[in-house]
Amino acid sequence: MKEFMMIFIGADYADLGLSPEELQNRMGKWFAWGEKMEKAGVLRGGNALTPNIRRVVGENRTVTDLTSAEVKEIVGGYYLVEAKDFDAVQDIAQDFPDYDLGGTVEIREVMVFDR
Amino acid sequence: METKLIDHLFRHHSGKMVSVLTRIFGLAHLEIIEDAVQDTFIKASITWRKQLPDTPEAWLTQAAKNRVLDLFRKLKTEKKHLPNLNQGKNAIAINELFLDSEIEDAQLRMIFTACHPKLDPRDRISFALKTVSGFSSKEIASALLTKEDTIKKRLSRARKVIQQSQLKFSIPTGKALPHRLESAMEVLYLIFNEGFHSNKKERLIRKELCGEAMRLCQILLKNEYTRTPESYALFALMCFHSARLDSKTNTENEILDLKHQDRKLWHFPLVELGNTMMNKAVETNVFSCYHYEAAIAAEHFRASNFDHTNWDKILYWYQCLNALQPMPTHLLTMAVVCMQNGDHEKAKTYLDQLEPKDFVQRVYLYYGALADYHNATKNFHEAIDNIDLALNTVTNALEKEYLEKKKLALLLK
Repeated sequence: MKEFMMIFIGADYADLGLSPEELQNRMGKWFAWGEKMEKAGVLRGGNALTPNIRRVVGENRTVTDLTSAEVKEIVGGYYLVEAKDFDAVQDIAQDFPDYDLGGTVEIREVMVFDR
Repeated sequence: METKLIDHLFRHHSGKMVSVLTRIFGLAHLEIIEDAVQDTFIKASITWRKQLPDTPEAWLTQAAKNRVLDLFRKLKTEKKHLPNLNQGKNAIAINELFLDSEIEDAQLRMIFTACHPKLDPRDRISFALKTVSGFSSKEIASALLTKEDTIKKRLSRARKVIQQSQLKFSIPTGKALPHRLESAMEVLYLIFNEGFHSNKKERLIRKELCGEAMRLCQILLKNEYTRTPESYALFALMCFHSARLDSKTNTENEILDLKHQDRKLWHFPLVELGNTMMNKAVETNVFSCYHYEAAIAAEHFRASNFDHTNWDKILYWYQCLNALQPMPTHLLTMAVVCMQNGDHEKAKTYLDQLEPKDFVQRVYLYYGALADYHNATKNFHEAIDNIDLALNTVTNALEKEYLEKKKLALLLK
């Protein structure tokens, strides 16, 4: 078994003008998805990220503070899962709730170093 | 873990939070308040993904209290006039504003604000759905079959009027109350009708509008000053209509008239609730339009099937209604009722009082009734002519289908 990270990229909820009703429905879907992974025993961790960004760039270590409104896409969170291969994670990612909002799931394999 | 949130918890809490916070900070800060409340739900929706709190409602109320402090800090930097929260007494007073009874009081104030006569009648519905019911402008647009931009314009116009006229966030008292209550009930009635008569494919949004109107009407009934025979009658009417919401269309979403509705689908607990409300509504002898409309709806429930309908009684209620509030649609309905009763001569006397221009967009209803009249009196040619006129003017796809079926039946005669 290998470890993979599913990284969620897309617009921030705050910038989409979702209604309380929609937010509740979306939350329900996220909740159900998390539970499904938990039950299947594949979930190894994960977090949601706040939309505040501090960027440090270049040799001068130039610092900029950004909000989600200033960037088109933002990493909103990630899940770490255990799976056989990319295809298996792709299956898991089918239930990601925010495709309809233009969201993206990027699947990356966690690198393992030889001992 | 099997935790499930109450349906519409967020939506309903949003209305409560906006109302209570407005009571504390005033209508002048409505926009900032709405943003802050929205932010709470975004946070909740993300932090609750993994684990729901044990008592979601308490969590949301606490979040609303926290927003009081946030807003206070935020507005303080803008040096606006604010309540003084630092003193112990005020802090306690604010805690008390989050008691259930006070939340209801705040919501009632918001209903009266949304239904204020200073607001354009079209803006009232949108504004009520937004602030009291927690709908987004997109949801309002979809419920009212309008563009989202239009709704946004209506909302900002309503906000502007509220600021400019410096409306008070209060429950009207004394002489002002009856008039203001009438305006509030009218808005609730319109919201309900939007849900009940809309022919939108998604039944869900229709039901939600009806449900919201009923929830808001219940808020009126909980307050001793707004609990009147009229508001009871309005709630009874909503109960009766909602009871047959599911039977109005079949599984293919075709409209079914009363004759073809499956009466087994009627939801009788709602009918009973309506009856209870109606008994309270008739404790005085003053009857409103809502009383008569509810009486008509109730009469349909008394009949176990369409043929047992007491049309004389229904005609009588319509006559009362039309005397109180003369409307071409009432006359048209009275004509239809007479035809049900086989009294075509009387039907004609009502139809003769009407002209196509009385009905504007709904003129197809008039032609449809004329077609029925000619069909019943065996003037099939004229019946078909009128069905064609109806078909030319109908815009709604479902009603069009209904008319086409009727035409086909006529052509086969």
